[in-house]
Amino acid sequence: MAELKGPNKLSRIGFLRQAASRMVAMGLGLVGGLLVFGSRRQNTVWQIDPAKCVKCEHCSTDCVVAPSAVKCVQSYPICGYCRYCFGYFHPNYDELTSAAENQLCPTNAIERVFVEDPYWEYNIEMDKCIGCAKCVKACEDFGNASFYLQVNHEECVNCNNCSIAMQCPSDAWDRVPADTPYKLKHDQRQVVELDLKPPRHTV
Amino acid sequence: MNERQLGAVMVVLMASIAVGFLFVLFRSPPEVAPRKRLADVPAEQAAGTMGGGVVAASPGGEVERVDIEGEFLEFDGQPGKTTADWPHFRGADFSNICSDSVPLAESWGEGGPPLLWDKPIDLGEGHSGAVVWKGRVYVMDYDEEKQGDALRCFSIVDGREIWRRWYKAPTKRNHGVSRTVPALTDRYIVAIGPRCHVMCLDTETGAYQWGIDMVADHGAEVPLWYTGQCPLIDGETVVLAPAGRSLMIGVDIATGNVMWETPNPGGWKMTHASVMPMTLLGKKMYVYCASGGVAGVSAEKAAEGELLWQSTAWNNKVTSPSPLKVDDQQLFLTAGNGAGSLMLELKEAGGAITAKTVFEQDKKTGFSCEQQTPILYEKHIFGVLPKSAGERREQFACFNASGKIVWTSGKTARYGLGPFLMADNKFFILNDNGELSMIKASLNGFEPLAQARVLKGHDAWAPMALVDGKLLLRDSKQMICLDVRKSRIN
Repeated sequence: MAELKGPNKLSRIGFLRQAASRMVAMGLGLVGGLLVFGSRRQNTVWQIDPAKCVKCEHCSTDCVVAPSAVKCVQSYPICGYCRYCFGYFHPNYDELTSAAENQLCPTNAIERVFVEDPYWEYNIEMDKCIGCAKCVKACEDFGNASFYLQVNHEECVNCNNCSIAMQCPSDAWDRVPADTPYKLKHDQRQVVELDLKPPRHTV
Repeated sequence: MNERQLGAVMVVLMASIAVGFLFVLFRSPPEVAPRKRLADVPAEQAAGTMGGGVVAASPGGEVERVDIEGEFLEFDGQPGKTTADWPHFRGADFSNICSDSVPLAESWGEGGPPLLWDKPIDLGEGHSGAVVWKGRVYVMDYDEEKQGDALRCFSIVDGREIWRRWYKAPTKRNHGVSRTVPALTDRYIVAIGPRCHVMCLDTETGAYQWGIDMVADHGAEVPLWYTGQCPLIDGETVVLAPAGRSLMIGVDIATGNVMWETPNPGGWKMTHASVMPMTLLGKKMYVYCASGGVAGVSAEKAAEGELLWQSTAWNNKVTSPSPLKVDDQQLFLTAGNGAGSLMLELKEAGGAITAKTVFEQDKKTGFSCEQQTPILYEKHIFGVLPKSAGERREQFACFNASGKIVWTSGKTARYGLGPFLMADNKFFILNDNGELSMIKASLNGFEPLAQARVLKGHDAWAPMALVDGKLLLRDSKQMICLDVRKSRIN
């Protein structure tokens, strides 16, 4: 190969030096990028404090996601497993069956499963729940308050200015660390039990 | 490798890194398939809650004959001495006011009133309140180990057990098991178990007298969360409300024979309320809130058991508080689960009695009680507002008979589903977690006197009893006796 001459000509050593420095720069950029985006996972997401929630129904009407990203969740250790669940049955029910006219939930989002006399289990079906909190209010007023609202991070897009948080009358919306994105009434291990997902979008 | 080849490798390497970075950044999370739901029809049918299944007399179960006589056990406790009795639900005159109380302490130290017994009495999980007779304390209990209902008799002096009679009736806990207050006379004590078994014993010895199964014998349906109805003894008659084939029955206390029955054509069901004796329009009657309506049944000897009036204006699936007489014509009805309250007025014309609604109270803005029966004092009604009462939730409130809330305890003094009673111009209020509060009985406003945590457990919902300054109270698993006398504390 001919010797390179002139000011714009690059020697082999120079080329390798330049390539190496670019590789290092790219590596640093990659590491930096991962650090930046990785650190977002350690940032915050929106969540509802069940102790402050007043079940006003804004969560079902003001979310930019349709249906709302706010869902009811069940705390099994708190639930009384009652045959007559105040959160499941309409106060003026005809009979204690899962017929639609007996249910309080407008979307049939609560599954009622017979365990053994006199116990029944109540499970929330997230894909049907619209976060209206009718069951939450009834369960809290007359039962053990095992139903409560949480932002389902599988669906929440984590808006900078959450439209529900801006309407919340009781300041129940809060930013929480993205690695512990739920404010559960019982044990954080319930995240798995309740089929709750980690955040898709963080800030 | 020449420079061209080296450059190509570098470009490929950089492109790979860039593509990998973009993939990591923009990859989609895995799709989550919605869970499918199947109606549990066989289970509903097996539990008798869906058409096509067996409609059980008790939730989900067949009627089983129980040997109510059961087994009698004696212990080493010795009865004490008391100058008064607390003979049944809501005390001697059903007002929940101890009118002959000794002077009580005006305040306590941080530790609360002194405990009378060395240790609490351990009970099965439940909400049964105590009655007191001649130095003895009686409680309907559930023995979780033996799976049976037990009427237990203790000494009021030290809490040691004197005797117990129990019968096997396996019952699974469902917000506790036992939840009724016995009723007694000098000869007989009557108790109702969680599954509607009625047991009559000799008050002193515990000797078995008779038993009735309201499910098997009278077609009653065990209420949700089990029986809450406390038996009523009126002279020689035990008054029960099976709300099955009969709405109400009168039983001879000596023999257990049914003396009269009030028909139940509407098919009303049993609630957690108790039959309350009252004189309205100058007539003695028994008033009961069933699931379906409220009714007054004659208690006059000439017409015992005759239905005097009924109304469906008050019709709730779940009613725990019992009817409260307000004056000679009016009675106050209240419940939780969004029911609110109702003031009924009785009128007689042409020999017939009719019930008319005077006013209703909204669950959120008005006065209502979820679990305990309110107290009438100086023409005002006192009680703890339910959790559904908005900003006034769980506050103790004074309500006048014309339908206005006079005062509440405010947002810093909330209570719960626990009991309250009145004595010596003071209200004693127990909250769910065993914190006892004493406030001045006043029409002018909330005046707290003392407060202390006296029980360690939870769900302290059983009605309290007070005799000679000895206050009996319990949480879901333990019962204690406090000495609240003025002479002992001040």
